[in-house]
Amino acid sequence: MVERIKAELGATLKETPVGEADYRERGYHLFAEVASADLLNVARFFDERGFYLAALICVDYKEYLELVYIFSNHASLCKVKITLKIDPAKPVAPTISTVFDCAYWHEREIREFFGVSFDGHPNMTYLFLHEGIDFYPLRKEKIPVSDEDKKALGAFRPGEGEDTFFVNLGPQHPSTHGVLRVVLKMDGEYIQSADPVLGYLHRMHEKMAENRSYLQFLPNTGRMDYLGPMAFNLGYVTAVERLCGIPVPDRANYVRVILTELNRLSSHLMWLGAYLADLGALTPFLFVFDDREEINDILEPVTGSRLTYCYFRFGGLYNDVDDAFVAGTRAFIERLRSRFSLYEKLVGGNVIFTNRTRGIGVITKERARKQAVSGPVLRGAGIPMDIRKSEPCAAYGEMDFDVPVGTRGDALDMYQVRIREMENALNIIEQALARLPEGPIMTEKAPRKLKPPKGDLYHTVETPRGELGIYIVSDESDKPYRMKWRVPSFSNLMIFPELAKGNLLADAVAILGSLDLVIPEIDR
Amino acid sequence: MVCLGERGVCLEKEVFPVKFAVVEKVLDLARANSIWPMTFGLACCAIEMMSTAMSRFDLDRFGAGVFRATPRQADLMIVSGTVTKKMAPVLVTLYEQMPSPKWVLAMGNCAISGGPFVFEGQYNVIEGVDLLVPVDVYVPGCPPRPEALLEGFLKLEEKITGKRRFPGPESRW
Repeated sequence: MVERIKAELGATLKETPVGEADYRERGYHLFAEVASADLLNVARFFDERGFYLAALICVDYKEYLELVYIFSNHASLCKVKITLKIDPAKPVAPTISTVFDCAYWHEREIREFFGVSFDGHPNMTYLFLHEGIDFYPLRKEKIPVSDEDKKALGAFRPGEGEDTFFVNLGPQHPSTHGVLRVVLKMDGEYIQSADPVLGYLHRMHEKMAENRSYLQFLPNTGRMDYLGPMAFNLGYVTAVERLCGIPVPDRANYVRVILTELNRLSSHLMWLGAYLADLGALTPFLFVFDDREEINDILEPVTGSRLTYCYFRFGGLYNDVDDAFVAGTRAFIERLRSRFSLYEKLVGGNVIFTNRTRGIGVITKERARKQAVSGPVLRGAGIPMDIRKSEPCAAYGEMDFDVPVGTRGDALDMYQVRIREMENALNIIEQALARLPEGPIMTEKAPRKLKPPKGDLYHTVETPRGELGIYIVSDESDKPYRMKWRVPSFSNLMIFPELAKGNLLADAVAILGSLDLVIPEIDR
Repeated sequence: MVCLGERGVCLEKEVFPVKFAVVEKVLDLARANSIWPMTFGLACCAIEMMSTAMSRFDLDRFGAGVFRATPRQADLMIVSGTVTKKMAPVLVTLYEQMPSPKWVLAMGNCAISGGPFVFEGQYNVIEGVDLLVPVDVYVPGCPPRPEALLEGFLKLEEKITGKRRFPGPESRW
């Protein structure tokens, strides 16, 4: 696949060479630099071959700004990095939102954080920020936002129409699970258009990463996705280990798998409760919190915290697990297995729930690819893609589990996929516990002060919500030069406007819930 | 003429220069034992707030389990998370929509002081919710444990009635 794409891309680009990168070091197979005139052709090239736009990143190198497009594939492992250099004095680039719909949101984000405007983009207004911010936050030098730009960025006004009105879903709304705001244009009970407004919890993680050392940034990962902090921890430590070439002992890898999967369970349980609470059933909420507390009882003595874990370290773990942990986890597996039948009776077999969710929020495979959704939402749409399978980190490669997929792509499928994923997670934990090797939990080769070699890395892991991509640019100093987080909820939210269109307001809540959004992760 | 004051029923001074101290105390006792918090989850702390309300920690024991989704029915705002500059006007509006008497509980380091998100050059975080609305109880932690939030509720009760209902935790240090 990689060879074929390389030949074909070379033929399309003609003048510029296509380079081949060491995948283990860089996280992508091929790279090429294109001119802005070629960009749209390149985007079409990847679109025709069934790629999706995994991430769109902007990096400020002072002399020039660089846009990085990561194209990836669901069917086979092939990642391509396309870069485009732009002049920082007059930052303009062509939009590819006409080819890949998800670029619409990424380009808006880059507009407000870097001041790059995209030619042909229909709506270059604030998505995360607001008029009060005078400088482009992620530029290396202090570049003020001019008054004209502020006016253009603040021009978001929902379009007026006859017989329509607006409903603000959020920022304080129980079913947006945080501070997400969606501006809904309503025609009676039906939604004409939906516009998410983000940034109510923008906590500057990417800016912070540039201001502190690799180790100091570690606690932030737990606060980005508070429901699945272990997976974010795992993603970050494995990315840095990959960048610096730090080995990890076997035992640490197995413990990482066990803890990440336990956390996945707790995240999915939380989703289950919150989703049903959105749909009007409060009882499951009480049940799942009972199970969640059991997981907390297991994790707390080991990790030292209940929620925002910061347990993995570069080259190992903070703390070893003991026999009580192993026994507690085994007991919990038994407990949760017996609870599944209860949930099945209470929820899965409940005709009110199934009728409420069947046939709404249907995502086709093609739309899923264009919007770059990932995780259970992608699998619910019928694409069997799981990063734990396709590029396993830690000890996932040695685990035996299947990838559940949906058949209809509706909200009910998302529910079933997540329930089966929870069963899978139990199987994975059981396997890892059975094979848990003895030995050290921390490598002796971990350097005190991390100074990764010059270069970049795009590293992905599977979090409870989908593909987490971490793009790190290192300049040989002890701080990352740029760190971009491609977060799953942000990508999954992008598909919401088209799912909500033409639906009832009550169904929009059911659709929003099925996407399992965590707002601090979207806003970063 | 009877009017609802900021912290209890009082009679307008011009008409009757009298305060019904006992009535006020009874009302305070009633208020303290049925605090209705607002469903207002901001960030990570919101999950611990939910844990507090759920089966194991059972906030209902203290009469405070009735989370209201609208500020107009709530009398306690738990600021559970980071307040950003974009969120600040919304938070103030919500506070203003709550009927008096009303209280604010700042849960977690972010709500108290901006927490871990304060650094040189930060551009989006309000460094403490007390810069926006008056705060009655501060519960530190990142995030605070449910027990800490329960203690926060007891402190609020103490503040309202002037008397602590349950014995405090023993000091170990």
